[in-house]
Amino acid sequence: MAAKKYRQQTNELKVSKGQLKQGVDREKLGADREKLGADREKLGANRERLAQEQIHIRTKAMEAVSDGIFIMDAKTPDFHIIYANASFYSLTGYAKNEVIGCNYFLLYGSNADLRILEEIKQTIRHGKSFHGEMLNFRKNGEKYWSLLRIAPVRDSKGVITHYVGIKTDTTLMKQRDLEIVEQREELLHVTRVGKLAEFVSSLAHEISQPLTAILSYAQAAQRMLADREPQLQEILQYIISDDQRAVEVIRRLRSLLKKSKPTFEPLDINALIKDTVTLMMAHITVMNKVVKFELDIKLPLIHGDRIQLQQVILNLISNSLEAMEESSDSRILLIRTLRKTTDMIRVEVEDSGCGIPEENMKKLFVHFFTSKPDGLGMGLSISRSIIEAHGGRLDARNNTDQGATFFFTLPVNPMDG
Amino acid sequence: MRTIYIVDDDESVRRALRLLTVACGFKTETFSSAEEFFGVVPNSSSGCLILDIYMPGLSGWDAQKRVQVESSRPVILMSADKDGDFKDRANRVGAFGYLQKPFHDQELIDLLGRVFLN
Repeated sequence: MAAKKYRQQTNELKVSKGQLKQGVDREKLGADREKLGADREKLGANRERLAQEQIHIRTKAMEAVSDGIFIMDAKTPDFHIIYANASFYSLTGYAKNEVIGCNYFLLYGSNADLRILEEIKQTIRHGKSFHGEMLNFRKNGEKYWSLLRIAPVRDSKGVITHYVGIKTDTTLMKQRDLEIVEQREELLHVTRVGKLAEFVSSLAHEISQPLTAILSYAQAAQRMLADREPQLQEILQYIISDDQRAVEVIRRLRSLLKKSKPTFEPLDINALIKDTVTLMMAHITVMNKVVKFELDIKLPLIHGDRIQLQQVILNLISNSLEAMEESSDSRILLIRTLRKTTDMIRVEVEDSGCGIPEENMKKLFVHFFTSKPDGLGMGLSISRSIIEAHGGRLDARNNTDQGATFFFTLPVNPMDG
Repeated sequence: MRTIYIVDDDESVRRALRLLTVACGFKTETFSSAEEFFGVVPNSSSGCLILDIYMPGLSGWDAQKRVQVESSRPVILMSADKDGDFKDRANRVGAFGYLQKPFHDQELIDLLGRVFLN
């Protein structure tokens, strides 16, 4: 009983102690709350500062990049620009007051391709991103190539509120690409003209032989008839003048396609190979092939005609690529240069393609011999005559494992020997 | 009798030139290759040699060189090809003359006239 009472008392005491503690806690809570309030304020200020800093950094970053960045309001129907960075102004040539609040698409000017603009609008209106390269005009009418990307920006509910765009000036890259394309086209053109000239020259020779015979037959007959048979004499004269007419056609054709005289200069064959491969790189990449080099960097200069030797290299590489076209396993084309003797260098183009059938080996360099359905059979024969005109030799062999190797030698530039 | 030897790998050209030269009063023999000519005609028999330049086997240039070494036979070179300076080259290597195919009979007769005048 006593014990129970005691326990009750202690409980009471405990309760009062608890009450007492509660009082203390409340006081502390009040202070804490105050502190919390202050902290919150601090935090709020901090957050705001951080947020501001973030905005500041992002804005600075957007201003710092060399691409033109712009933001359009998606709520307005006519693509009002609400922000553009400095690069956007310098890229387009428009000033801030001509840009902000204006319809982005009006900045394209009157030269713009309306179909493309419509396509861009439709794409982004449907919530998709646009990506495309096009020719644009600056405010002053100057042309430039622009790579444009526009992406929609959505709010938390997924509604498109803005579009953000990035414009990159690709004029320089484009120019380089175009230059490569132009150089390749020029080389191919020279090659085609060369083939045609070679073709015409062969044809002219083949036709000149019977024309020679016809002329001599007719003139022999004229002499045999002497002053007899005036009608036959007249006919013979017609034969002779028509023969002359055909000769004249051939003469004109020949002079039209006169083979250009080579211009010799000291050349770095390694650089020439690299240049030629650069011209073909797009083609090589599309075919999913790889070019490897084993170039002897200590090679002396050679004496040659740049365009003609490029034609040869281009022809050998094209042939190798074609030999590897069918098989996706054969991917590697190896170009090697080495010094063969003190006065000769050697260039090898080694493929891992189908190789050359033994029966074709001897005919490879003969005019009009081709194993290709659309080939003219001029490439290798011209290449060989070019190399021989340079004092070298061009030949081919099958590799022991796979594919074939075409190789040519060239004499070292005597000035540089 | 003024003799001429014609070497050309084209049969019709050979025949036409033989008819023409015979009609002009020459004694003509034809050959389809330089090798054949050297095999048949000794250096001692006189006569003018008319050589086509591009032929299988011995070319006109090679054959002319051999004639130059072995005899004093006059040589006329001819070609249907029109590359380079064949006429100058023919002069340089000591040929009597050069004919660009196709040529007129008068051109040939004039040249042969000068050959046999010497």
